Amino acid sequence: MDVSSFYIFLLLLILGYAIGSYLERRHYKSIQQREHETLHVPIITIGAKQAMPNAEEAQLFVGTVVISVDYFKRFSAALRNLVGGRITVYETLLDRGRREALLRMKIEAIEWGADKVMNVRIETATIGGRSGNNNSLGSIEVIAYGTGIK
Amino acid sequence: MKFIHKKIPEDINITKRHPLSNLAHLLGMVIIIGVIGFVLLGVTADLISRWISPEMEAKIGNSLLTMVSDNEIKDDKRIKYLTELIYSLPKKDEEIRLPLKLHLIESDVVNAFVIAGGHIFIHTALLKTVESENELAFVLAHELGHFQERHPINGLGRGIIFMLVANILNFGTHVNVPDILSLGSELYLMNYSRKQETAADLYALERIINRYGHGGHTMQFFKRLEKDEAEGNLVKVSEYFSTHPRSKERIERLMLEAEKQTWKMQGDATSVSNI
Ligand SMILES: [Zn+2]
Repeated sequence: MDVSSFYIFLLLLILGYAIGSYLERRHYKSIQQREHETLHVPIITIGAKQAMPNAEEAQLFVGTVVISVDYFKRFSAALRNLVGGRITVYETLLDRGRREALLRMKIEAIEWGADKVMNVRIETATIGGRSGNNNSLGSIEVIAYGTGIK
Repeated sequence: MKFIHKKIPEDINITKRHPLSNLAHLLGMVIIIGVIGFVLLGVTADLISRWISPEMEAKIGNSLLTMVSDNEIKDDKRIKYLTELIYSLPKKDEEIRLPLKLHLIESDVVNAFVIAGGHIFIHTALLKTVESENELAFVLAHELGHFQERHPINGLGRGIIFMLVANILNFGTHVNVPDILSLGSELYLMNYSRKQETAADLYALERIINRYGHGGHTMQFFKRLEKDEAEGNLVKVSEYFSTHPRSKERIERLMLEAEKQTWKMQGDATSVSNI
């Protein structure tokens, strides 16, 4: 590796950090605001083995979101891979993913007129990153789904 | 069961730690472990290469030979001249580790190098560039210095060990070894080779003083090369400078040593014969 590719690496790291953390702050602001706005509709996990409450109508709602890892996070995580321990930089990424997916599901349910979303489940998947030769930036997909009732 | 509106608390799933302090902490840890690791590996490689017998080194040299010797000129009187010149350089009581073999390569690129097993390579462009035997002898003595100090075989040992470790790390973590690590190793190796170059230069100057009685007409060659490069003849000389330090610092260091040893640095040039 020569000096110029080191500068490119440094530039990517700084860009990744600057833009990544700006977008993250903005996303969190938006998440908190929308969570506050939709607080009146409960989302609960019961329903799989319990009887559902009586309702006139029920429908499945799905919210999905895909979030990419930035260069800074990936570099931090790669270093973490060498020494072990909690990858704290990925915690915010997953937290944003879960909350965004839940919100998208919930907002759709509210528009439909739901007064509860039951039996809510969350799943995650990684896309874009190849296992083995993992040189590309990975992304995560978070899927939240539940049964809206009214 | 009544539903109560509550603000969702933050920081449950997120560790309160600034990403930059996290990165600084990680970098510090990796760099400390890395430096210790590189030093240990270097020492191990040196120990291993010290165990390599001259016969073994000769075998390694022969197997490397097939990879480098393209455009080699055989049966040329210049080879005899160069061989005699290089054998005239060591001190009387000095033992040459293995029989030297000189390889003359037809090439427009100015270069000279030595590989394990005592194989010294001289490009024909180098012979065209030198203006006196003193200049040529200095370049030859420098390469001989590398060989006598076991630099090629040590370098090989280091190269193999570092490659092995990089591969193991790469395989174990499923990510490429972070760029910073490869940069670190390169800086480390660069520093290592700088030490080698200084050692080879000092070896060479001592032999030149011994052979010609003075150190004049030796370093003009490097100045000319650098001028050549500045004039845009980059391709021709860049290969030599990719493995050798810049002329200015080299000359300064040698002049300092000559002053310390009270070596004469002026004298008549001996002309190159048979070329
Ligand atoms: Zn050298």
